[in-house]
Amino acid sequence: MNFLSVLFIFSMAVILGMPVRAAPIFAAALGENVDQQAGTLNLGVEGMMLLGTIVGLAVLVYTGSYLLAFLIAGLSAVLLGLFHGLVTITLKADQVVSGTAIWFIGWGLSGYIYTALFKTTEIVVKPVPDIYIPYLTNLPYIGKFLFGEDPVIYLLLIAGIGINFFLYHTKGGLNLRTVGEDPLVAEIMGVNPTLYRYAAIIFGGFMAGIGGAYLTISIVGAFEFDMTAGMGFIAVALVYFAKWKPYRLLLGSLAFGAVYVFYLTIESYLPSIPYQFFEMLPYIVTMVLILYVGSRAHAPAALAMPYIKEG
Amino acid sequence: MQIGKPLQIIFFIIIGLIISSFFLLASNVSPISGILYMLYSGFGTRIGVIATLNDSIPMIIVAIAIIIPFTAKFWNIGGQGQYLVGSIFATWIGLDLAGSMPPAIVIMAALLLSFVGGALWAFPPTAMKLYFGTNEVITTLMMNFVAVYLVDYLVSGPMEGALQRATHAPSSSTIPSPDQLFYLHGVNIGIVIAIVIAVAIFFLIRYTNFGYELRLMGNSNIAAQYAGAPLKRNMFQAMLLSGGIAGIAGMVQVFGLAHALLLSELSDITTSFGYVAIPIALIAFLNPLLTVISAIFFAGILNGAYVLEVVYGISLNLVIIIYGLIMIFAIMGVMINLNRVTKLFRRGRKNKLVEAAKN
Repeated sequence: MNFLSVLFIFSMAVILGMPVRAAPIFAAALGENVDQQAGTLNLGVEGMMLLGTIVGLAVLVYTGSYLLAFLIAGLSAVLLGLFHGLVTITLKADQVVSGTAIWFIGWGLSGYIYTALFKTTEIVVKPVPDIYIPYLTNLPYIGKFLFGEDPVIYLLLIAGIGINFFLYHTKGGLNLRTVGEDPLVAEIMGVNPTLYRYAAIIFGGFMAGIGGAYLTISIVGAFEFDMTAGMGFIAVALVYFAKWKPYRLLLGSLAFGAVYVFYLTIESYLPSIPYQFFEMLPYIVTMVLILYVGSRAHAPAALAMPYIKEG
Repeated sequence: MQIGKPLQIIFFIIIGLIISSFFLLASNVSPISGILYMLYSGFGTRIGVIATLNDSIPMIIVAIAIIIPFTAKFWNIGGQGQYLVGSIFATWIGLDLAGSMPPAIVIMAALLLSFVGGALWAFPPTAMKLYFGTNEVITTLMMNFVAVYLVDYLVSGPMEGALQRATHAPSSSTIPSPDQLFYLHGVNIGIVIAIVIAVAIFFLIRYTNFGYELRLMGNSNIAAQYAGAPLKRNMFQAMLLSGGIAGIAGMVQVFGLAHALLLSELSDITTSFGYVAIPIALIAFLNPLLTVISAIFFAGILNGAYVLEVVYGISLNLVIIIYGLIMIFAIMGVMINLNRVTKLFRRGRKNKLVEAAKN
């Protein structure tokens, strides 16, 4: 095989695998995006995703329903989110501290629930089946990529478009962004900042849970301890990189999807390089990306600030 | 701080413990007796206390390390990475000088190099924050993951011990026993290093100009700037010191307790001192002396959980849940009272402002 054909096969592999790997990050980052625009920094995404991984798997094993698995995984993460909301919105505690605690709780719960339910047996599940559209899916090269993904990916895409529309083209979205910029102004406009922040946190939790469930069900097919390995934090970083714009979030997630597929594929081509260096790649890329954005990004002004009512 | 506050926080921590005990039901263990048995195993027996004190040593040191930037509200979540790189450097110099130098010199060199290693790992996130305004929580965290894979590579590659290779337990060669930190009545002498660091940092934060400026920065960067505090220089010093001390924790762990560089898995709470240090430092109100107590408390929970694992087969992940719940309930304990008091004062003023805006 000559170099060009290797390159071609390799890049096809990366492109075809990209959307699946991008999906959990995109889901979590979309939720975090809404969270942050309402002014709540949620570092607990990692914990929420981890809780989603085990709940999604367990529900799928016991009920056999993909819909229920994703739904309940999302709702379980919402519970953690409400906890975060209670502490940061109602009690006005520091959001970094609370987010770290939420991360710990989700992290511990995921491993604990798995061990309690399944002991040491490894549970393997089948991914959500891909859709098939006659003719379109069979198109050469792009068919599988555009028309042959699983339904969750399309739903996430629709959610992304919907959120972009909501945030930048509706009254509700304007209100939400105002809460993130200046809760006092929002309150004077007749908007309830507490309500909006809670709603954002519920949405953020739900999406993180779905991202986690997708990771176990559709990517790995089984549970591993701490399997998100920082994906939740990468999602937070991606929101900074995307400058709070969902369409940039999609591009960023796809880029990360490409990074994951890239190193998983290239590992087998270059066995002489220790695999650990490839494993470091997503984290180094994250650092480079947010270095590139740096302080040029205009964060919501009231991000990570509790809203304390005062004159 | 009101007089009733510490009591209130302890009360909330107990609530957190009680809530976490209900997870024991999933393993068919009675919650309250289970959690009491856990605390008894960690603090009630002689063996338990010795194990707890030993486990608390790295926890104390890393927690003290992260307190320094936390005081200035600079969230160094990278204690884990700094600790790991410190232990890499310490192991490397320890194995390199073994036998050719007297133990005292080996130990001094290892202390120094672990400090340098930890500080080195703290440098990029700090520079990125100060010159490019990146979020330090994310960058310090990313450095942790890189460090984990670095250790993974080293212990299964260049630094892997011959004996360890045969047993398929990835780790470096053992530090020879003359160089190891010795034990006194079963407790490693590293605890003295930990307490010396705690006292030194307590004085640094409380009684020096640098510490005063850090506390000022924690309240408000603008206020600190007006007061003439060199923000960037202080931040660099605080972070390099923090990383260095976290690195020393790695040295103490390698020379005192583990005696080799071990594989540190992401999911393994028993090697994740850098993460555990966060709740430890926070529930001690960033006070280095109280941190010693809270670290011993956290180490005791970990040791009790080992016993629960052996006796009832309960997953060690319970410890992580307990840490998280203790952390979040402690914050509730801090915030709840204060909130109720300030609300009474502020309600009247806000209504006036809303009225004024409407008119």
